Amino acid sequence: MDEIRLMAHLVAGYPDVSGCLAAAIGLVEGGASYLEVQIPFSDPSADGPAIQNACAQALAEGYSVAQALDFIAELHIRYPNIALFVMTYASIVVTPGVESFVRTLARRGVSGIIVPDLPFDADEGLDAACRREGTITAIPVAAPSMRAERLAHMAALGRPYLYAALRTGITGKSTTIDEETLRFLGACSAGGSRVLGGFGIRSHAQALAVRSLVHAVVVGSAFVEVISHANELYHNSPRARDEAIRTNLAHGVQELVSGPP
Amino acid sequence: MSDKGYFGPYGGRYVPEVLRRAVEEIEAAFEEAQQDSSFQKELMRLQKEFIGRPTPLLYAENSSRFLKGADIYIKMEGLAHTGAHKINNAMGQALLAKRMGKTRVIAETGAGQHGLATAAACAKLGLDCTIYMGAVDVDRQQPNVATMELFGAHVVPVHTGSRTLKDAINEAFRDWAASFVDTFYIIGSALGPSPYPDMVRTFQSVIGFEVRAQLAERQLTPDALVACVGGGSNAIGFFAPYLDTEIPRLIGVEAGGRGPAPGDHAARMTGDGARTGIVHGYKSRFLLTEDGQVAPTHSISAGLDYPGIGPQLAALGRSGRIEFRRAGDQEALEALQFFARHEGVVFALESAHAGAAAIALARSLPRGKVVVVNMSGRGDKDLFITAPYFRPTEWAAFLRRELEALQNKEALRRQAPAGPEVHYG
Repeated sequence: MDEIRLMAHLVAGYPDVSGCLAAAIGLVEGGASYLEVQIPFSDPSADGPAIQNACAQALAEGYSVAQALDFIAELHIRYPNIALFVMTYASIVVTPGVESFVRTLARRGVSGIIVPDLPFDADEGLDAACRREGTITAIPVAAPSMRAERLAHMAALGRPYLYAALRTGITGKSTTIDEETLRFLGACSAGGSRVLGGFGIRSHAQALAVRSLVHAVVVGSAFVEVISHANELYHNSPRARDEAIRTNLAHGVQELVSGPP
Repeated sequence: MSDKGYFGPYGGRYVPEVLRRAVEEIEAAFEEAQQDSSFQKELMRLQKEFIGRPTPLLYAENSSRFLKGADIYIKMEGLAHTGAHKINNAMGQALLAKRMGKTRVIAETGAGQHGLATAAACAKLGLDCTIYMGAVDVDRQQPNVATMELFGAHVVPVHTGSRTLKDAINEAFRDWAASFVDTFYIIGSALGPSPYPDMVRTFQSVIGFEVRAQLAERQLTPDALVACVGGGSNAIGFFAPYLDTEIPRLIGVEAGGRGPAPGDHAARMTGDGARTGIVHGYKSRFLLTEDGQVAPTHSISAGLDYPGIGPQLAALGRSGRIEFRRAGDQEALEALQFFARHEGVVFALESAHAGAAAIALARSLPRGKVVVVNMSGRGDKDLFITAPYFRPTEWAAFLRRELEALQNKEALRRQAPAGPEVHYG
């Protein structure tokens, strides 16, 4: 079987409350195994333009962290068997207090948190807070530019999951899978963590090339673009737009997971 | 110096792993360069020949007499090449970039002063230069954009987020994450991930050491130093020789803007608008919403409206070594007029905030006390803000005439047959 285990990324609140729910439904119907919900931050400097614009648009509509938490809770009730991860930036986590934020996520059924600007060795107590909750884990983000020693250190933490940013740079552009990348992915899994391989994957063919090296393939920018496209086409009719988001994403995921029909 | 990148509770290196190595390489190169006498010698030569150091320390005797209080001295940092203190740091980091073998430099800029300084330093040192600038700032700071381009810099308007300085910083980080093999990111203020706060302070400390020597020549010691604080690079450089002493008083002046309501000012150390947060790779005091989103700010001076403050300044404010005040838009304009009339010196709007606090302080102190205010920039760049304020009618008429003349010339050029081409050389 050439099926891909997929972690699908979406931005909470983009294009709006009903639109992001339609997106999540489409992603799950298409066959995503994990959902990575990004809580929008005003200054997402580790994201590419597609995700950055999605975050900016959600915030411009007044979308709040409380609404994102409600959205996450709803997803967990609808899909109790889909693992929910949250991605956001340090400011969103430390402002209410790390402990309190982690507890809130855990209570809403989130099983992992990804904060790229909280390094694993200066995480403001994120990992400790997750351990105290027991049902949620802090997921460190690795990059190929890391020194070998540091990457080995990160992998040796043996966290349940490790997020591997496959391309040196930012989400959105294409990924080529070369020897160096393969070595990098090997190093990521050295401590027994399940590796979530992300950044830049857009096709079943690309996903196949890394499938055996990662636990799940992460796709983000490509899906955000699908949503943006539907949002532009049907901006006068929220119902038609939500339907387009749902079906287009379901097809998109299906194709990524199983290959072109 | 920081303790492993921290100043008390603030500072640190909160960057995604993708950027960590780039920052570590800069740290190592900076430490080496500090020990290398040939690097220091070359920097000193450029400071003298290119930047125009030392900048004068002016005794503001008319102002002091008028105010009937302490003696005010003005550090004329705005006489540095490109019009502000920014060049001290831009040149230092550009020289470091060259030493590291980097061929390309990127930088963010708000009002354009750091972009201008970086573009000039890169032109001088032969480095390729890209400046990220919020689209809103590009529109309102055209003179600086034109000059940066004259220096050969590629100015990239940033259309994301609030399209101002903080978004330009995000875009520079994005570029750097994909380009650090050959590219050096010159941050313009004493903030960002460690080692930037230490590095920027070091390159700006030339201001404070010059002031100390210039006062000593006159057998004076300062009772108070006053500087404006946006990110805080001019303040920390000016205060640097005195951080571990008890005297003089060190006074940082933030932008009070239009008033104390959220969004109307950029005061992080006075009032209760700020929170401790982590943004742009460091922990400090920031203007954030309850959710942790970066909040909107306002100041008449584009250089003071950044929502965060350098971590060392935040720590020194917390410990009490630095006193923070705020000055509003109106007070800054009045201070600008005051020093122009009494001393023949035009402060930049940013520095005029420090000027306003210095006036108030000098009034409250007895004669013989010494107050030094850092005029971190000169005011030429603010003509398009100050002229409509001081001379609205005449300025509007002038702009209309200029526009008409430009349009007529354009129309004539289009009608007339092509003239003979001019060749140079």
